Amino acid sequence: MGEFVQHLINGLAAGTIYALVALGYTMVYGVLKLINFAHGDVMMVGTFFAYAVARGLGRPANTSFLGVTVIFLVAMAGCALLGLVIERFAYRPLREKPRLTALITAIGISFTLSYGFQLDFGPLPGAAPRAFPEIIPPREWLILGDRAVVIWNWQVISLGIALLLMVALQSLVYRTRFGRAMRAVSFDHRTAALMGIPVDRVIALTFMLGSALAAGAGILFALKDTVVQPLMGLYVGLKAFVAAVIGGIGNVPGAVVGGLLLGLVEEFVVGYSASSWRDAVAFSFLILVLLVRPSGLFGRATAEKV
Amino acid sequence: MASIPAPLRGVLPVLLALVVLAGLQLFVGDLPFFVYVSSLVGVNIILAVSLNIVNGMTGQFSIGHAGFMAVGAYVGGKLALEMKDLAIAGLPSAASDQLQLLASLAVGGAAAALAGFLVGLPSLRLRGDYLAIVTLGFGEMIRVIVSNLEVFGRALGLSGIPQTSSFMMIWAWVFLVVLVARRIQDSAHGRSLLAIREDEVAAEAMGVDTTGYKVRAFVISSFFAGVAGALFAHFVPIINPGSFTFVKSIEVVTMVVAGGLGSITGSIVAAVVLTLLPEVLRSLFLQVGGLEGGAALAQKVDQIRMPVYGLLLVILMLARPQGLFGSREFWDALPRWWTRFRRAAP
Amino acid sequence: MTAPLLEAQGVGIHFGGLKALSGFDLSIGQGDLKGLIGPNGAGKTTAFNVLTGVYLPSAGTVRVMGEVVNGMKPHQINRRGLARTFQNIRLFKSLTALDNVRVACLADSYPVFSRRRLDGARRGSTGRFGLPAAMAALNNYVDWWRALLLTPGFQEEERELTRRADGFLEVMGLHHRRDEEARNLPYGEQRRLEIARALATGPRVLLLDEPAAGMNTREKSDLMVLIRELRTRFELGILVIEHDMKLVMGICEDITVLDYGETIARGAPERVRSDPKVIEAYLGDSYLAAHGMSVPGAGR
Repeated sequence: MGEFVQHLINGLAAGTIYALVALGYTMVYGVLKLINFAHGDVMMVGTFFAYAVARGLGRPANTSFLGVTVIFLVAMAGCALLGLVIERFAYRPLREKPRLTALITAIGISFTLSYGFQLDFGPLPGAAPRAFPEIIPPREWLILGDRAVVIWNWQVISLGIALLLMVALQSLVYRTRFGRAMRAVSFDHRTAALMGIPVDRVIALTFMLGSALAAGAGILFALKDTVVQPLMGLYVGLKAFVAAVIGGIGNVPGAVVGGLLLGLVEEFVVGYSASSWRDAVAFSFLILVLLVRPSGLFGRATAEKV
Repeated sequence: MASIPAPLRGVLPVLLALVVLAGLQLFVGDLPFFVYVSSLVGVNIILAVSLNIVNGMTGQFSIGHAGFMAVGAYVGGKLALEMKDLAIAGLPSAASDQLQLLASLAVGGAAAALAGFLVGLPSLRLRGDYLAIVTLGFGEMIRVIVSNLEVFGRALGLSGIPQTSSFMMIWAWVFLVVLVARRIQDSAHGRSLLAIREDEVAAEAMGVDTTGYKVRAFVISSFFAGVAGALFAHFVPIINPGSFTFVKSIEVVTMVVAGGLGSITGSIVAAVVLTLLPEVLRSLFLQVGGLEGGAALAQKVDQIRMPVYGLLLVILMLARPQGLFGSREFWDALPRWWTRFRRAAP
Repeated sequence: MTAPLLEAQGVGIHFGGLKALSGFDLSIGQGDLKGLIGPNGAGKTTAFNVLTGVYLPSAGTVRVMGEVVNGMKPHQINRRGLARTFQNIRLFKSLTALDNVRVACLADSYPVFSRRRLDGARRGSTGRFGLPAAMAALNNYVDWWRALLLTPGFQEEERELTRRADGFLEVMGLHHRRDEEARNLPYGEQRRLEIARALATGPRVLLLDEPAAGMNTREKSDLMVLIRELRTRFELGILVIEHDMKLVMGICEDITVLDYGETIARGAPERVRSDPKVIEAYLGDSYLAAHGMSVPGAGR
């Protein structure tokens, strides 16, 4: 029983990270109908920004509440900027082109970022994994039974931050004018433009938002894994994409559900079999969803007009 | 070019290239570097041309090609390991080796073709982005499954596969894949594939069994990917799951896109250039830079390769999405002045 | 009267809660030239899509050459003798006019088993699989092997396909555009190429979806003549969706009128033209009132 609960906690912790990244994917797909392959790698860049700031602040500054906040804000702002640049120079010129062209470009950017960061010169970090500073010094917060269940402080904090960000996003999308503009653009960007919505700006802001969320997710991920390395974004990104697809790509609450579901299933499968099957979970899910119900749990099935 | 009989057109350049290569081989054939690079180029050409049949001609974007390469490599390699101590009586050992190699290739290719059928049948109903992602998923699944099976050596992979791949065998298969691709391109069925690429709904309405054609193209493509994988297993000392990751799939996709989706010659040229460049640069640095500096620079080439591929894809899509030759062959894409010049000459 | 080539009985389809088509009855025999009209969104193209297998009907039966085709894929229905054109032109843009037609010609090739034998086998057997399917499959696969291995039969068949395609281009007056990419053709010629392509599949029934859309008066009258000619020359039954009343009234012998998916009138052009229900559907009930007409039994 204890093992079960432990897996549950771990799965939720991982799931919220997937959910945060999946939100970025789903928002961008909503407004651009593009699978932003590079999203996971933007997350990676954000994590390295945080790494640099945390190292720069040094102990004990980087463990203080102010320090941690600064780290988060700088990383998120940095990623937002990166997202803006990518959208402006790589995706916007291709907006009227076939979706495949943009997909190839996204793959290209993903590789440039992830493998580019593996290079050794200049500011680029290089391939070796680095220990992420313990900005939240790990402490066991709750021990149930005879160490059957151990809940760490960073798990709870991580969950809390993730939930906070998700609630903020939810109110943004459904209660503000900007959110309404976003949703309008996701339905039909040409009509939205005719209605006076600044489509370019909405898309750019959506990108920035998604990228900022990814940075936050990346920091939480680094807290969980304790190391960072340039290729970390590739697989997390892919899995978060699977989560977004499970929930129905383009659907915001769906991304959250998908992320949590994926995190839980992954954790349980690994817990009861072997860790080498971890990746297979996400891919099996992906294949299953795409073949059985491509619109996901909550998505709209769009039919092609003949 | 109209004087060349249709069936031979397109295959002729490959034949010429083969003659040139054969000549080269006489001179430098013993250099391990030459053997390795020419083998790698051959394998990559097979991968690129076979992927082109699906991505270029049929317009179905698949990015899981490395998965089928893996199937061929592992199945063919395992068979070769089992057959290692057998020898066909009455034949010189070289011939016996080649025959065993051929058997591995055939079985590896067939296994990959079967995998292609199993993957293609459910997946090819999907369109565009979704198809790309599901093929990626399948490619990775194959890799994960292989790396979990004891019979395939798990993460350590297979070693000790007889290194019997020969110049003749590799380039015979290159010739074969180009021939098949060319024959498809030049036939009514190739036209049907192009129709599917242009407008699947309309093609279906005009009597084209789109699912059947797509799956068939996928199976043929996977077969050759499997053969390429099995060949690969016979000239590298160890194969492990790491050789067949998503990165390899993207490498092949880059070659096909850079050469031009639908252009066989484009795929060949891109495969040659993108394989040769890093290898040549690497050995150049090793030679020229001396032991310390040279090795460091050579390593840099390896590292730079992937981000450069990424940048190449981005720049291509922004500046020249049709790639080198678009969807035509290089003799179609010759600049106008050349054809005008030829017409002017008596 | 001979057996109908195309028959729809009580056909209906709904998308979620929306009833796009209901109670649709239709019968096309050889030599028929019928029309299908109705305001925008009435369900005309939907009817075409159901008949050709793009959508699965939720109710009713569709029969082609006497065989029930519900649930068959479009290419299977096409091979049984039903061809169509599209409302928004769907040519194979980067292929030449000749290649566009050659693709369609393949649907009418019978390298191993002739069409007669195939039809005979189909009449004799029931169910989707079995002998006829095997024969059709063999026809298909032989073509692959011939192309790959370059057998002498292949060259001959290519020549035959090209000859037939050229013939269809000629009939539609497009032979001078043979090697031009479809996307480069002027609009009117593109529409004609669509018809040539559909014809090349060797159908018994031809469904034309707004074939005259975007054409000028001269082109439209030429098209009218052409459609009649095609009907005679290729022994077809033809169903036309059109918005141009003059064209429809001019060539169609029988017109079905749809509105909101339901058939509101059917019959000869004069009768349909003066049917108050039809007038109301197109022009609204205020028009009816202004002209002192009323729909019998109405009271909405």
